[in-house]
Amino acid sequence: MAHRPSPTRTEPQVKFVGYLAEFDDPHRLVAACDQVRQAGYRQIDAHTPFPVHGIDPALGIRRTRLPFIVLAVGLGALAVGILLQWYANATDDIRPFPGYKFLISGKPTWSLPANIPVAFEITVLFSAFATFFGMWGLNKLPQFSNPLFRIPRFKRATSDRFFLMISADDPIFDATQTRQQLERFGALNVERVDHDQSDAELPRFLKPLAWCLASIAILIPTAVYRSQAMTNEAPRLHFNPDMDWQDKSKPQTVSPALAGAEGSTLFADGRVMRPDVPGTVALGELRLSDPLFRGYEQGTAVEPGATDEEGNPLEPEWVTAFPSDVDDAGDPVLEVNEAMMARGQRQYGIYCAPCHGYAGYGDGLVSRRGLDLTVQGLAAWNQAKSLHDPMVVDQAVGKIFDTISNGRNTMGPYRSQITVEDRWAIVLYVKALQATQERTAAATAPAN
Amino acid sequence: MASTVDQLIDNSIEDPARRAPLVTGGLDYAGVTDVVSQVAESPKPPRIWYILLGISLLLLAMLGANIGHLIFTGVGVWGNRSPVFWGWPIVNFVFWVGIGHAGTLISAILFLFRQNWRTSINRAAEAMTIFAVVCALLFPGIHIGRVWAAYWLFPIPTEHLAMWPNFRSPLLWDVFAVSTYGTVSALFWFMGMVPDIATFRDRAKDPVRRFVYGLLSLGWTGSARAWHRYEVAYVILAALATPLVLSVHTIVSFDFAVSMLPGWHTTIFPPYFVAGAIFSGFAMVVTLLVPARELFGLKHLITIRHLENMNKVIVATGTMVGFAYGIEFFIAWYGGNANEGETFLNRAFGEYYWAYWTMVSCNVIAPQFFWFKKIRTNPWLMVIVCIFVNIGMWFERFVITVTSLARDFIPSSWGYFSPTPVDVMMLIGSFGLFFTLFLLFCRFLPVVAISEVKAVMPTGEHGEGESH
Ligand code: HEC
Repeated sequence: MAHRPSPTRTEPQVKFVGYLAEFDDPHRLVAACDQVRQAGYRQIDAHTPFPVHGIDPALGIRRTRLPFIVLAVGLGALAVGILLQWYANATDDIRPFPGYKFLISGKPTWSLPANIPVAFEITVLFSAFATFFGMWGLNKLPQFSNPLFRIPRFKRATSDRFFLMISADDPIFDATQTRQQLERFGALNVERVDHDQSDAELPRFLKPLAWCLASIAILIPTAVYRSQAMTNEAPRLHFNPDMDWQDKSKPQTVSPALAGAEGSTLFADGRVMRPDVPGTVALGELRLSDPLFRGYEQGTAVEPGATDEEGNPLEPEWVTAFPSDVDDAGDPVLEVNEAMMARGQRQYGIYCAPCHGYAGYGDGLVSRRGLDLTVQGLAAWNQAKSLHDPMVVDQAVGKIFDTISNGRNTMGPYRSQITVEDRWAIVLYVKALQATQERTAAATAPAN
Repeated sequence: MASTVDQLIDNSIEDPARRAPLVTGGLDYAGVTDVVSQVAESPKPPRIWYILLGISLLLLAMLGANIGHLIFTGVGVWGNRSPVFWGWPIVNFVFWVGIGHAGTLISAILFLFRQNWRTSINRAAEAMTIFAVVCALLFPGIHIGRVWAAYWLFPIPTEHLAMWPNFRSPLLWDVFAVSTYGTVSALFWFMGMVPDIATFRDRAKDPVRRFVYGLLSLGWTGSARAWHRYEVAYVILAALATPLVLSVHTIVSFDFAVSMLPGWHTTIFPPYFVAGAIFSGFAMVVTLLVPARELFGLKHLITIRHLENMNKVIVATGTMVGFAYGIEFFIAWYGGNANEGETFLNRAFGEYYWAYWTMVSCNVIAPQFFWFKKIRTNPWLMVIVCIFVNIGMWFERFVITVTSLARDFIPSSWGYFSPTPVDVMMLIGSFGLFFTLFLLFCRFLPVVAISEVKAVMPTGEHGEGESH
């Protein structure tokens, strides 16, 4: 043994631990404990197959502090249980693991009665852990090496014999006298307990083995960590397809293989969507009028990306008044009136206000949150432009119509969501909004 | 030396002048050790043990195959269809959780009430509890459909998902209640077993047994200081487990009671569920212990008196359950709610009348036989009654779950539930899981709490009665 210096090198490394006295009856054991204690011994312990009542005072065992440990842990767990629920369901802005605050049936997100069951269970769970692990910890168990286990007689300590142990460390311990005293107190038998210290030595192969296991154990987390930090082209492992891949046609995809027929697809050209029949136009898609459908004067279209000699993008001639097209029955498509304005206001509130704000200053909720996230470095967001920016105020109605239809810079297109009539109605409302705000000299009145 | 009373004594006779002995057959301390240890030490268990284990393993394999089928195919393999989305899986869950109540009740509540007779049966009852909870946890676990996402049930912080469980949902309370209950019961069980495993260790002849039992007994030496902390810990765990055991089935009943469905939305559910749980749990303990004591020669430790005491609990709780059925009907009428009234009439006389009356006859009528001492003290008769009780309790959960769901507020969406073969095989298979675990427990671990039994044995010299 390296860590405990032995008196002389030659001596076997055996330490005298104490005397073990055997009794065959719990009452005799308790009586003996009493006498031993009165004789002044303090380093004493008994070993019995079941808890013998009355032995605690006889041995002078003081009450354990386990209950206080459990109380402290239990109260802590209660606090944690309540905090956890508050954090998870009543907050959503604590980083890096935001809570999930969501509304259910209009009930308050934080209401104690609903949180009692979980708080109670967490309290009980952790108090039980404290009791269980605290008890073993205070008893210094598990401890697999014990000199007592070397004594054949001691095996009956867990069946029907009762033992009293006096430690050799006790100040008044005396090798001969103590033995005589024990015999006098009614021990069936007194045995000397020695601790062969080489017992506690770990087997030699254990150290290299432990090193091997430790290095293997490190490999797995290292591999996980490495793969987390790397990009990987291979598709994810998908343990359960869970209807993620189905033989069905989705727009804009390659037509799936027909069941049973290897390699063949539904349509010869491999596409799922069918092109229009050549020379035909679908009902309602003729859209000849440039002013109404595209916002510029008839025939002034420019090639996308076309520029003038100086490299400025070319623009078509935007219409400056609301188009006066008529439908098949001869009625005007757009009637600039109060109803159209109301419609515009309504659609603006739905489609534009989230970003541009109800008053058009570019301060809608979406835009504000986007900016917040941008400040925190969690997103890259361009503020929605203020519609009262002189540059926008000066725009012709056709251009605004085009912005809505096709988007502009970082703003997306809305032509597939909003009908032509509604887009013009929104333009009308935008113009009205601009007119309500302070006007720059160059601002023009809404064409009307 | 410890001694007990004459071995011919019938300890089920009530004699107010004398406490009935809890251990018969003239066993002393060593005798108790021997009787319990020979179960695990005999080189060969009885042949019937092998047969039972074989059958259980087959059923377990069937359960495993069905679970695999379920996971790879989807929950559609069950009979759960609109409008009954909580079919047998939830019925089985509540059934098994209920059974899992007896063990902790015996080990914790009876301990706090100083009912010494519990010592012979608590170990087996606790084991049964844990195995029942294992079966119970299985069903909601696979009922969530996407088993691989089961960890979403627990509050685990995720950076990208930013989702947390809804702590205001009874289903989530259930997750916490049942998993806490399973964990605490397992700790309690294991802690109680350590001194007895140490006994096994000290008797073990072959090195493998010595090593395994040595490891499990954590180096226990029976030190008086260790016993002192151990007993304090035992009292604390019992005190923690007592409200816990009552909370578990209360919370399970919230799964139903907190919803707005007629037949579920009642305040009687928590006490009524708890009584039912104790009822079914005790019935299961009796069903298991009667054969076990025959098989493993434990008749002197698990005496007729122990069984009789349990039967008394069964008749008491069975009567409470019957009373609860009555009150439910009364309130359905007295409450004046048309939906509620209709639901209860439909339970008793509608399409599911057969389930309702099976439940009533098994749960209310069957236990009444225990008023007769002859039946109460005859091992095989009591097993028959107890099996009926267990059947009845399964039907109770079926009636509650299915009849209310099958007919809610809109008649156009009423339906009738029929189980699929997978449902049936899973229920039967769960018994395979339960019995496999229980049979292995009987063979390899101390079936009776050796040290606790010794502590309540009279200690000869100092006269009659308890040792303390
Ligand atoms: C998702 C947020 C969002 C929505 C919704 C949105 N916009 Fe925008 N809009 C923007 C952003 C961002 C810009 C600034 C684009 C840039 O310059 O990069 C912008 C710019 C504009 C401009 C100025 C374009 C220019 O010429 O520079 C107009 C006009 C406009 N939006 C009108 C609308 C109208 C009308 C609607 C409702 C149909 C609408 N926007 C809906 C985000 C939005």
